[in-house]
Amino acid sequence: MLRRDFVRALVTIGVAPKFLLGQQQATPPGAPPPAPVPWLLGLNPKTPLPHVEVAEDVAATELRFFSPLQMQTLTRLAEVLVPPVGDKPGALQAGVPAFLDFLMASSPETRQQVYAGGLDWLEQEAQKKYQTPFSKVSDGQAGALLTPWLRTWMTDHPPTETHADFVNIAHDEIRLATVNSRPWFEATPPPTAPDPFNRSLYWYPIQPDVRYESAECAKIPAHVQAAPKSGHPMPQYPR
Amino acid sequence: MDEKQLTQEMWDVLIIGSGHAGGMAAKILTESGIRCLMLNAGPVADVTRDAQTKHTYELPYRGFHPPGRVPHVFQANEYNANVWVDEQEVPYTFDAKQPYNWVRVRLFGGRSLFWSRQSFRLSDYEFKAKSHDGFGEDWPISHADLAPYYARVEGIFQVSGALDGPAQMPGGNYVIDSSPWCPAMQRFRTAAKSAGMPVCKQRAAVGRDGLASSVNLLLPDAERTGKLTSLANAVVREITVDKNTGLPNGCHFVDRLSRREMTVKARVVVLAAGTLESTRLLLNSKLANSSGLVGRYLMDQIYGAGVVCSVPEARNGRGREQMGSSAIVPRFRNIDTKAKDFLRGYAFNVTASTGPLGARNFAAYGADLEKKLDEYEGSGFHMTIMGEVLGRYENHVRIDDTKTDAWGIPVLYVDTKYTDNEYNMAKDAVETASAVAQAAGFEILSKNAMPNPPGYSIHEVGTCRMGDDAKKSVLNKWNQSHDHKNLFVVDGAAFTSAGWQNPTMTILSLSMRASEYLAGEMTRQNL
Repeated sequence: MLRRDFVRALVTIGVAPKFLLGQQQATPPGAPPPAPVPWLLGLNPKTPLPHVEVAEDVAATELRFFSPLQMQTLTRLAEVLVPPVGDKPGALQAGVPAFLDFLMASSPETRQQVYAGGLDWLEQEAQKKYQTPFSKVSDGQAGALLTPWLRTWMTDHPPTETHADFVNIAHDEIRLATVNSRPWFEATPPPTAPDPFNRSLYWYPIQPDVRYESAECAKIPAHVQAAPKSGHPMPQYPR
Repeated sequence: MDEKQLTQEMWDVLIIGSGHAGGMAAKILTESGIRCLMLNAGPVADVTRDAQTKHTYELPYRGFHPPGRVPHVFQANEYNANVWVDEQEVPYTFDAKQPYNWVRVRLFGGRSLFWSRQSFRLSDYEFKAKSHDGFGEDWPISHADLAPYYARVEGIFQVSGALDGPAQMPGGNYVIDSSPWCPAMQRFRTAAKSAGMPVCKQRAAVGRDGLASSVNLLLPDAERTGKLTSLANAVVREITVDKNTGLPNGCHFVDRLSRREMTVKARVVVLAAGTLESTRLLLNSKLANSSGLVGRYLMDQIYGAGVVCSVPEARNGRGREQMGSSAIVPRFRNIDTKAKDFLRGYAFNVTASTGPLGARNFAAYGADLEKKLDEYEGSGFHMTIMGEVLGRYENHVRIDDTKTDAWGIPVLYVDTKYTDNEYNMAKDAVETASAVAQAAGFEILSKNAMPNPPGYSIHEVGTCRMGDDAKKSVLNKWNQSHDHKNLFVVDGAAFTSAGWQNPTMTILSLSMRASEYLAGEMTRQNL
């Protein structure tokens, strides 16, 4: 219900008590007396909770950040860097390219640049060396393009050298997005000890003004817009 | 009564902050019969109400650091993003070329809810550092002054450790750790010995029931006395001053949820809001600053540099036979010898891990990488540094007049950077760790000599340093303002030098010592 309609409904109830009373009096004799409507009190611990799925299991992402060509390059890159091994799904089975498009769309510009610039560079390299788009290169050709840029590095200190930064950051994040996915979890035998990596304590926002659910929330205007006191449409009542 | 002043209550002591420092002050003062009011800027965290175990795939960002959210808290991920102070709600500013990672928690209990629990004493190499190498200032106290308080704090926090430290790591009142070293750590100890590095048992607070926090070890004692009143969501705007005496007499605060402006009165004010929040409050209230040094000498420790190795004998599923110990290498530079291009020194945290190694340690991908990860699982040997940052006048915080937080309170501008002393120290640490690891027969997988930005260690100290000379320090040796006898700062702001040690035990001991002094002064009616 739109907020406007809700307010209108409230106002209607406010101005029509006699009408409502009239309805009550019209109740046929013998019927049970009207219960007060517990309209906010009905939920209780016995209320069955509907089963809901994770959206990305049933729906596709609409491309919001990568160009179609970049997405093709990323898809092949993800397939090469994190292929299915043994029982474990690869990045494509884990829906990683679509997830990274979503992640990048709300990421800061510097990170977007690493990915967009890196994918464009990879495409150019494939065209230059093999006269084919990166999405069509063989595993061997992809390896020849990527291997010279692989580095080892410690947390918070990825390589800063151009191209090595993209290859290593993208590899790390493609792998993390795969390992943290549902298909990976389902392919993993139940851990003997608590597994802090795949299941952990999630903290909800703690009290209203630290509320935050996603990067997009910051862009949604507040429900009640601040207005100068004089111009405020709310009626004044004696208290 | 001031006609704007609606509440008639006059508290004995107002404590601002509820973490380790504030919790200890509340415990000691209330146990002495003193009525305290504690204010905390954030809400009470209730893990049964506010948290739930979830799979990573259930979270919108699959566990990644949520984009744009607390960008300067490298420790944050999607699971815990909501426990840190939001950088938009309570901003702070700095030059983009000199970023500062201010890692804050405003939940009741503060950062005592989430600390890493490493528990060391400072030694006289820290308390009397200037006497040793000529740099900075000596503290007005020595290890002997603080030792009885350390011992009591270690008892409360159930610190586990061994009495195996050299003079630069004084032993304490420990739950003795007599577990044997794992074979890999034995080999490391032998190699380290020839490099002059002592390898000791880790010292960590075990606490009670899995937690070692103000909220379970300190505040319950205070509450039992019936003398403690606490408010959550009370964001202190400024400390108020009695017009006649010029002494602090309470504070103005704003209720975080209702935005209602409130005032409380007290005979004594104890600041325990965390180093930089206490300093921000003093600067915004224009108090305690006759020396001009409030905000100066901001210090912490360099973190982020280190070496990751693999122990060949522990590969292919033999990790549990070979690995499992962790150790601390206390500072060994500039004790008996002199390092060529830096003052002071660093410690190593050393861990022989039985868990998986991160993929970042291998320049491989695909099936090759997965094979490596399987082979190397349980063979990871990690050495990371904690290096002392020198106290420098120019490393400081001040009020940024151009920006306010969500409650209209002016924010801090942080102006601090590392110098060659810190960079050279990190370089030396990585070279030394690599040499020792190789001598022990370990394979080096990755290393890094670039420290994380200042602040990352969450060990910010200084900015209200203590000293005997009121011109060269903000507080005296009792954490008491030189300028206002009824104003105390009992958190990390009082530090005169940072040391390589995690500061928690020292903060707790200083707060305990200052609070006993304060209780005595109040009993003697000097305050």
